[in-house]
Amino acid sequence: MKILIAVGSKEYSAPTLHVGIKVAKAFNASTTIVDVGEKVSEFSTKVVGLTQERMESWDFERPGIDVLEWAFSYLAEKQFIEPQYIEAGFPKNTLVEKDGRRIEVYLKGTVCDDVNLILRNGDIIAELRDEVQTESYDVTIIGGSGKRRMAHDLIQYIDSSIFIVKKFDPDQKYRILLAVDDSPGTRRAVKYGVRVAQAFDIGVDLLTVSKQEQFKEGYKNAADHAAKLMRRSGIEAKNVFEVGDPAKTIVDIAGNHHIIIMGASTRSPLKKFFKGSKPLDVMENCSCPILIVK
Amino acid sequence: MLGFSHRSLTNFLFWVTQKKWFLVTMMVGLILLFLPTPVGLTLSGYRTIIIVITALLMIITEPIPLPAIAMYILVAEVYFGIGTANEIASSFMNDAVFFIMGSLMLAVAIIKQGWDTRIALGIIKLTGNKTANIVFGFTAISAILSSFIGEHTVAAIMLPIAMTLIRFTSDDVSKVSNLSAVLLFSIAYGCLIGSIGTPSGGGRNAIMITYFRDFGISISYLNWMAKVYPLVLIQIPIVAWILQKSFVPEYTHLDSGVRKLAIQVAKSRKLTGRNTVAAIIFLFVFLGWVFFSETIGLGIIALTGVLCYMIAGFVRWEDLNRNTHWGVIILFGATISLGVNIKATGAAIWLANLVINLFGDLMETFPLFSDSIIVLMTTILANVLSSSATVAVLGPVTLNMGSDALHTGLVTVIASAFGYFTAVAAPACTIVYSSGMVKAKDFLKVGWKVGLMSMVLLVIYANTYWLFIK
Repeated sequence: MKILIAVGSKEYSAPTLHVGIKVAKAFNASTTIVDVGEKVSEFSTKVVGLTQERMESWDFERPGIDVLEWAFSYLAEKQFIEPQYIEAGFPKNTLVEKDGRRIEVYLKGTVCDDVNLILRNGDIIAELRDEVQTESYDVTIIGGSGKRRMAHDLIQYIDSSIFIVKKFDPDQKYRILLAVDDSPGTRRAVKYGVRVAQAFDIGVDLLTVSKQEQFKEGYKNAADHAAKLMRRSGIEAKNVFEVGDPAKTIVDIAGNHHIIIMGASTRSPLKKFFKGSKPLDVMENCSCPILIVK
Repeated sequence: MLGFSHRSLTNFLFWVTQKKWFLVTMMVGLILLFLPTPVGLTLSGYRTIIIVITALLMIITEPIPLPAIAMYILVAEVYFGIGTANEIASSFMNDAVFFIMGSLMLAVAIIKQGWDTRIALGIIKLTGNKTANIVFGFTAISAILSSFIGEHTVAAIMLPIAMTLIRFTSDDVSKVSNLSAVLLFSIAYGCLIGSIGTPSGGGRNAIMITYFRDFGISISYLNWMAKVYPLVLIQIPIVAWILQKSFVPEYTHLDSGVRKLAIQVAKSRKLTGRNTVAAIIFLFVFLGWVFFSETIGLGIIALTGVLCYMIAGFVRWEDLNRNTHWGVIILFGATISLGVNIKATGAAIWLANLVINLFGDLMETFPLFSDSIIVLMTTILANVLSSSATVAVLGPVTLNMGSDALHTGLVTVIASAFGYFTAVAAPACTIVYSSGMVKAKDFLKVGWKVGLMSMVLLVIYANTYWLFIK
């Protein structure tokens, strides 16, 4: 299991890192924390690089290193990395640069083998997509963005499950809202639901939404199977059956006190591109974290 | 769908998303290609204008790498029958491209010498610890240096000095946000206003000199300075004043910051013989520009300097190769080729006449209107394109817009330095923005004031001072 946590700044990424580390612990996952810096106009890439070299000779770090240093401190505080790394401090001198666009540092984890810190520069979607494709991550965890295009592109183009840490409040008592139906994605979503519920030690609402009054047999079976799996895993869970528009119902019930987990859409990429999808609708309108399982 | 897997469809859609501006540009080009050729314009002239429009759209949106845009320009010129392969190749390379290549390499050689500590010491000695004086000092030093060695070199040298001063004034950046903005903008805008001062101040100046030569106009290094340098000097205090009014610094005096900076500079390594020789080589390059650029060319002299630095072992080829943006050089070569062909195909005169026909009456009624139009067009383009590309494509047009090509050409090249409004147009602004200490919106917030001042001042200056020093 490999998890990618995308952070952007010390001010806004604390919830993302907090949730990301919890999930990584639950899955015992090899974890990478990435900061994607702003794209520099191609006209000035070389002179900006040259300036940064000069800045380093005056003891200024290049932009983004401070974010990695902050992430390192967080990992150290949570004892997610081995003590010898914590004692040695942020290993600035072992930063490795690859192709001039990816800087990384390897650390040894306590709950998993690898913890990597990475710095990239460029268009965030293109960089995350490249990182996920090259390193085959299973889950990408990222903070919420108000931009519709960004949400669409994340779901459409990132080839891993996406956990969007939207409006997360560490003081809020959350439950998981697991969307259950007869789609192929549900089975995988339920498995993720179990692990996340265990990580956060919270209960699960298994929500099945039908557009018709009469619930299909497949829906009932999926809900029963999910409830059974929760029970076996020792997780407090209850089934909820609602009639209505699925996306709207999920958003309404989730409110701001749930973590939504749902399977990715099985629509063709072309349909998703032009018409959107249920997970995209939910993600855009919800006011809480959401995990879309691929 | 049609045998394509979901993955390949997703890859295709991602490509479409990333390259949408390329596709839009090609659509625009195709539509224009099928429209009838405008009256009074040759077919090759019309096709050249289509290449200009499509290339500019791609330079602004960067959907494909810059060298790819250069290749597009070159191959399109041949495929559209604007010139033969050999003609296009010869229009691609000239002394202005040599100068751009040489000045980018000189920047690497100079920045590697570590002159920033000496400059820091010089600024402190000159300005003392009063913030207003320091801001004036940063603007003046940036402007004067960039007038000789190019804005990107100076911005790279000055940025660490300003950042160190800010850091020594307060560890909490939120407590010195205005001070940060005022110092960093004094570097960026100082570099911009200075870059017009001499022919070696920027690649665009060298491009305009090449165009002047095609018009049979010769202007020496000192003659250029006599015409333009007073404008640099007038703008320095005004820019420093506008910046301090826009971002009122949190401290009126920077006692501790200046003291700590002086201590840090004193700790740095002493001036070596090597540094002195490197400075002497640059001095010879400068003297070469002043006395021989009209006969030998700015580019050849810049390359001679680079050659000397390499022979002396002051810079390694690996460093030059790694830090020189070859893609930018190729692109400027291609835009110059485009500029040459705008003139050769008659498109330049047609475009100039179009502007004159549009505003002819106003131009006759208000004598300054013609310059105002040139300044406005150039400033707008320079803020979305690069300044050199602006001069390369706009120069041949504006040179045909009045009876005095030297006048309109100089107005164009000066206005191309007014890239104050965005963080991406001018390298000096991008360098300062890359520090993360100023926001993109700050450029607009203060840029419009400085931009308006520079535009108005230029129109008045060009129509008063130049009348006396013909």
